[in-house]
Amino acid sequence: MAPTLTASSSFLVAVVILSAFPGFSSGSVLFSTLPRTLVVSASPQPGQVLKAGEDKITVTWSLNGTAPAGTDASYKTVQLKLCYAPVSQVDRAWRKTKDDLAKDKTCTHLITSRPYAASNQSYEYLVQKDVPTATYFVRAYALDANKVQVGFGQTTDKAKDTNLFEVEAITGRHASLDIAASCFSAFSVLSLAGFFMAEKRRGKKGNPTTPAANM
Amino acid sequence: MGTIEDDPPVKFALPVDSDHKATVFRLFSFDKPHMRAFHLSWISFFSCFVSTFAAPPLIPIIRDNLNLTSTDVGNAGIASVSGAVFARLAMGTACDLFGPRLASSSLILLTAPAVLFFSAASSAASFLTLRFLIGFSLATFVSTQFWMSSMFSPSVVGTANGVAGGWGNLGGGFTQLIMPLIYAVIRDAGAVSFTAWRIAFFIPALFQIMTAYMVFFFAQDMPDGDFKSLKKRGEKPKDSLPSVLRGAMTNYRAWILALTYGYCFGVELTVDNVIAQYFYDRFNVNLHTAGLIAASFGMANLFSRPGGGILSDVVSRKFGMRGRLWTLWSVQTIGGVLCVLLGKVGSLSASITVMIAFSIFCQAACGLTFGVVPFVSRRSLGVVSGMTGGGGNVGAVVTQLLFFHGSKYSSETGITLMGIMIICCTLPILLIYFPQWGGMLWAPSAKNATEEDYYLSEWSVKEQENGYHKASLKFADNSRSERGKNSARATAPAQGESPLPL
Repeated sequence: MAPTLTASSSFLVAVVILSAFPGFSSGSVLFSTLPRTLVVSASPQPGQVLKAGEDKITVTWSLNGTAPAGTDASYKTVQLKLCYAPVSQVDRAWRKTKDDLAKDKTCTHLITSRPYAASNQSYEYLVQKDVPTATYFVRAYALDANKVQVGFGQTTDKAKDTNLFEVEAITGRHASLDIAASCFSAFSVLSLAGFFMAEKRRGKKGNPTTPAANM
Repeated sequence: MGTIEDDPPVKFALPVDSDHKATVFRLFSFDKPHMRAFHLSWISFFSCFVSTFAAPPLIPIIRDNLNLTSTDVGNAGIASVSGAVFARLAMGTACDLFGPRLASSSLILLTAPAVLFFSAASSAASFLTLRFLIGFSLATFVSTQFWMSSMFSPSVVGTANGVAGGWGNLGGGFTQLIMPLIYAVIRDAGAVSFTAWRIAFFIPALFQIMTAYMVFFFAQDMPDGDFKSLKKRGEKPKDSLPSVLRGAMTNYRAWILALTYGYCFGVELTVDNVIAQYFYDRFNVNLHTAGLIAASFGMANLFSRPGGGILSDVVSRKFGMRGRLWTLWSVQTIGGVLCVLLGKVGSLSASITVMIAFSIFCQAACGLTFGVVPFVSRRSLGVVSGMTGGGGNVGAVVTQLLFFHGSKYSSETGITLMGIMIICCTLPILLIYFPQWGGMLWAPSAKNATEEDYYLSEWSVKEQENGYHKASLKFADNSRSERGKNSARATAPAQGESPLPL
């Protein structure tokens, strides 16, 4: 029984790994090879602080007018994402920017995914409650029919240090949780006091739990 | 002064020795007092492990909620295992003086508030403080080992210690599976993610409080009763704290075991904290998979640590204490070699295989260590257990600081270096020597040293005149099995040797 627990865990892991292989073999896109063909703008002013769960961002995007004709022939979908600015990536390996888009963790929050249209599009996004406190910009990826990235646009420049805005996350705390924690803690400590008093009384009675063995 | 009085026949569910300690270990029994104490002690220790390592699997959510950096997360990990360094020592002392039942239920009730207040954490500082405070609860390890050493005879003490310790450690693996599950259920029930993880922490906290109640009401300290009632009946004299402490601190064997335990258990704690991110970063598995692999490392404790304890007892039957020491050294050293290998293998499947082999040897070494600890001292058993246990945590802190903090070494280099350190720091076991039983490289003393000589040396003449040493005398007699079967001195001292002064 016991040995098979770990054996089945490692088997499960192997199955999960193997089933993920198709994703590796499809070949990954490098961000540095993507042409910047989309123009994206977002409503927040530079340095503005938005509250998660309350404030909205209006994103507009369109094909860059100077792009040669036929650039967007393969574009089928546009994905808009909320991305971390470099200042929010410092000392946080889970938000690291990597050129290989399959491993890149810069843009982990999806704003929306829309079918592609050449004309001006816009979308109003309520900042979700699971967005952490950080500094952001908005990026749009153009995807082809195979869901592979073929172009992008973003609200900031190449160095990602202009036109950034901030989000202030919810705390997740509630007064009811604080009260519950306090009550159970008091219960815990008072139980201990109760145990000691009970033990003192037991000691006074000299209560044997098994027949005494004479010394 | 050397005789053992006959005890009147007392009814116990299991066969017992003259100390009323059980001589067999029946896993599926709940009979009081022995097996009941076993089950309650491992379950309460398990709950402490669940609480202490409840945060790691939820770190991806918590780090976003509290805006933590990698440094914050790493520091909190070190804090979670450093609190127990001194707590384990204090717990050992408390067990010697107040008994494991009160000592462990007190600690569990005092650390439960830290688990509850995780729901109110608001910053890196509060997160670190809470992980530090919860980590104190890992001192219940010491009360578990002390308790098993009080309830079980030398011939099965390795097994009892190993199973209780191993099944408690299981909590560290179990929590990696259960906390994400509890979080998902609460979130799917409608809570926002940043609130759901907070609510999730109430579950381990309440479980912890429940185990403290069970320990207090259903278990007792020793086969004959609780410390308090034993003291009242005059069977357990109140011991002096300075003497108990001095007895342990002046025994070099306790220091050696504290060091070597840092390189089996300390390594285990380190791996608990870093293995998920190692697999995630090196092999690009996703977080769920990394968590599953991390959990299987901890879950191996189900059989590997108990296996070490059982092996210690089995080896002791034929080879005595020398066998226990040789097996401990070999198993821990092999664990070190596997650790070096783990840092070197390049493929995911090889890595998982080596990790599982490494976990088995590393955890078995923990079980084997506590097959030796009960014999180092009888009077200061608690403090010796506490020193060894605390040494385990020191090993975890030192190893994480040296090899897994900041970006000096990659995870795989850190793991290889950790393996080399394991091999080096296990060598001192060669120096452990008991005059009555021998050591790895030396036979027992030619001067016919006995178990009584060793254990009675812990008591002064005045204390012996007052009869305080009687429990040690019984233990000395029961521990004669550590001579092994084939040794010429295997039978009782009377055969052809000079009679002992009475």
